[in-house]
Amino acid sequence: MTSSNENKKSLKSFYVLWAILTVFGVVVSLYAPGYLMPKSMSSSMHLSILTMVVFSVSAAPVAAGVYAATLYIMRNWAHKGDGVPAAAPAIRESAKTVVTWTLTSVILTVFLLIWGLGALAVDNSGASSNPLVVNVTGQQWVWSFQYAGPNGTKVESNDLYLPEGREVVFHITSLDVTHGFWLPQMGVQVDANEGTFTEIHTTPNKLGTFDVRCTQFCGLNHAFMVTQGHVLTPSAFTTWLNAQPARS
Amino acid sequence: MTTTLEHKAPVIKHEGGGLARHQNFLTAMIGGIAGAFIAWAIAHHLLDQNVRTTSDAVAVLTGCGWIVGFWFGIGALNAPFAWLVGKDQTRKDQLYYAGEDQGTKRYWKYCTDHKVVGVQYIVMTMVLLGAGGILAMAIRTELIVPGNHFVNQQVYNGFIAVHGMLMILALIVAVAGPWGNFVVPIMCGAKDMAFPRLNALSLWTLVAAAGLLLTTLAVGSLTMGWVVLAPITDQAGVGMDFFALAILVFTVSTTVAGVNTICTVFTMRTKGMTLERLPIMVWGAIIAAALGLYAFPYFSLVEALQILDRTFSTSFFVGTGGGTGWLQANLFWLMGHPEVYVILIPAVAALFEISAVMARKPVFSYRTAIAGMVGLAGLSILVWAHHMFTTGWAPTLGGPFMVTTELISIPTGLFFLVLIGTLWRGNIWMKLPTVWMFGFIANFIIAGITGIYLSDIPIDNQLHGTMFVTAHFHYVFVGSVLFGAIAALAFWYPKVTGRFLDEKLGRIAFWLAFIGVQVTFMSMFVSGLRGMPRRYSSYSFIFEHTNFITTIGAYMIMAGMLVLGGAVIYCWNHGEPSGSNPWHANSLEWLVSTPPPLENFDVLPVITEDPYNFGKELVRS
Repeated sequence: MTSSNENKKSLKSFYVLWAILTVFGVVVSLYAPGYLMPKSMSSSMHLSILTMVVFSVSAAPVAAGVYAATLYIMRNWAHKGDGVPAAAPAIRESAKTVVTWTLTSVILTVFLLIWGLGALAVDNSGASSNPLVVNVTGQQWVWSFQYAGPNGTKVESNDLYLPEGREVVFHITSLDVTHGFWLPQMGVQVDANEGTFTEIHTTPNKLGTFDVRCTQFCGLNHAFMVTQGHVLTPSAFTTWLNAQPARS
Repeated sequence: MTTTLEHKAPVIKHEGGGLARHQNFLTAMIGGIAGAFIAWAIAHHLLDQNVRTTSDAVAVLTGCGWIVGFWFGIGALNAPFAWLVGKDQTRKDQLYYAGEDQGTKRYWKYCTDHKVVGVQYIVMTMVLLGAGGILAMAIRTELIVPGNHFVNQQVYNGFIAVHGMLMILALIVAVAGPWGNFVVPIMCGAKDMAFPRLNALSLWTLVAAAGLLLTTLAVGSLTMGWVVLAPITDQAGVGMDFFALAILVFTVSTTVAGVNTICTVFTMRTKGMTLERLPIMVWGAIIAAALGLYAFPYFSLVEALQILDRTFSTSFFVGTGGGTGWLQANLFWLMGHPEVYVILIPAVAALFEISAVMARKPVFSYRTAIAGMVGLAGLSILVWAHHMFTTGWAPTLGGPFMVTTELISIPTGLFFLVLIGTLWRGNIWMKLPTVWMFGFIANFIIAGITGIYLSDIPIDNQLHGTMFVTAHFHYVFVGSVLFGAIAALAFWYPKVTGRFLDEKLGRIAFWLAFIGVQVTFMSMFVSGLRGMPRRYSSYSFIFEHTNFITTIGAYMIMAGMLVLGGAVIYCWNHGEPSGSNPWHANSLEWLVSTPPPLENFDVLPVITEDPYNFGKELVRS
């Protein structure tokens, strides 16, 4: 049996490695979500990206700790030579380690929960008194959008037009199979189901074009069930709406 | 009681077995095909061809004919019929069924020896993974550049469904099948499983189900992913009937296997093998089996209702008839999330075992290891609706399910604690099983953390249904479970074959697979973050580079698996001889000869301590 002293190496290099990996992880966490995810065009998307960053930063020391420990173990305690390694000193229990580990993971989890539930509450609140209602209809394999036009008429479009700075409530349904209504730049999605309406809301805060994609597998042309969205200034939106042919 | 029989009459070979002497895999195939044909002929001629659902009813009955014919052909029904007409099996019959003196022929038969079933499960797992892997390569090849080039979209969609289901089935059995059967009974000090015939039944039912699943590729007309969400299944042709029936039959196989494992561990442990002296692998096997017994009935139910909807126009999942697709989604995920841990827990338990033996140290905090597995299994039944955060079903349940889902990270964290704690200050033997175990640790942390993102609704609202999710669960299944399963294979391979899995080839396979996993699924995370939905047969040019990289990585994984598969086959007869206890371990499977004798122990051992006191002799009488 090897002496226990031989196996007790200094932990300094472990802590240094942990710190370096944590810093690396935190830097990546701060920049990667914003860089990789679609550019934000709504407060919901902003919240999604921010939550990604917060979660990544929280997870960085955990992942870094596991990687540092693994590398440290391989570096220091790998058996050298061909023979069968001798038995190592048994460490069957360590109440301190188990309690510290568990408490740390509980605290981290509770923090993430509080943040997540808070973000969810923010996302769900703030229904303005005068939202724009858009009815969304999915069918194999196109989207169509219905607006209330001037003087009680109805307006339909295959591109999605939204005014900047005003809350939009989508009422979503499907004429056939289930589709997934997703606006990647707005950070919101919900399924479109036949025979029932689902609802999501968002407030676009940036002018420009965005994507509408289907995230629920819907058959042959699922990959091609895409269309364009446009965020216009409020006056441009009104102009667009009034220029559309009314439908009964 | 049976030994007296042996003394009275000396065992004469070529006696016993009866009809089973003529039954094997070939007669099972013949029986299955004949059964399918007869059922088809009857159904086709008797059912009214003008009814919309008739083609589905014919397909379901044909599938049932296949299963029953297969059972007849392999000999699964011999013993029940013999019992029914008052003829109990003799000892000689039982020995024949256990494969005594039949050489390699017994691997093709309805063999009740748990070690033979274990080997059959190794082969079955490799066949399923191979078939699913070929489909994965076809999918990635289609996605190497934008646009549809290699297969048409309809075929591609079928590939997605069958790839998913094949791999899920393969991974459910990947550790629990081979090692739950081969080593767990020996670890307990049992002479066989509690129900040897049910053991053979579970294996051959899996073979029949896999056959049915593979025919769906030939029949085609699958229009949905592996989760087969209603109502799109309405548009699927008869391939969907085979698909649903295959799953239904598969759940019979897992239920039978799960009951058997639990009964074996609880009733057949040898003297002195208290629950806390059990090797930790045994705990993993029974916890996963118990969770499976909870989860898989939902799987049976959802497919049974699906089949009723299709054949009798019931409308459990059809909106126009008062049903709802959300019911189907709920039932499916009530099964679907526990099932992930039915897959994961045996792999983790095997790694606990491997880490202790290879670090020459006891499992760190044995009870924490059990608590982690029980905690994970318990929580997993309360988290299913996180798969439905974006369906629009019961939005107010979002918060509660977010809480239960994020709590999962606590028992998962305990797994890391036990693994790292066991390795800490060890004297680590860097052999093939150890290498794959380190690969598991590196990949599983990524799998876990990306899971936390998806448990959070504000993030899930963005990432649900994207390639990010696909990459996440492939880190779980490929990066973690498959790596754990391969570690287990490398660890117990010498016990099965008496030879080592080649160290050099195994390491080449490891590096190809490990780098391949990072290349494939890291780039897939990026595709998802940038906005690419799942199950796309084609994509816009903004996803071009990441998809190209993903495909190259996938080829690397496949290359690694081919090297590994080659090594497994080659080393079976030509590997370096290992002796009966190559890792100098103390658990009972290493203390019997290699290969273990028919009934494992001549004299049942008496256990006085757990198997983790390395460097000390295990006290046996």
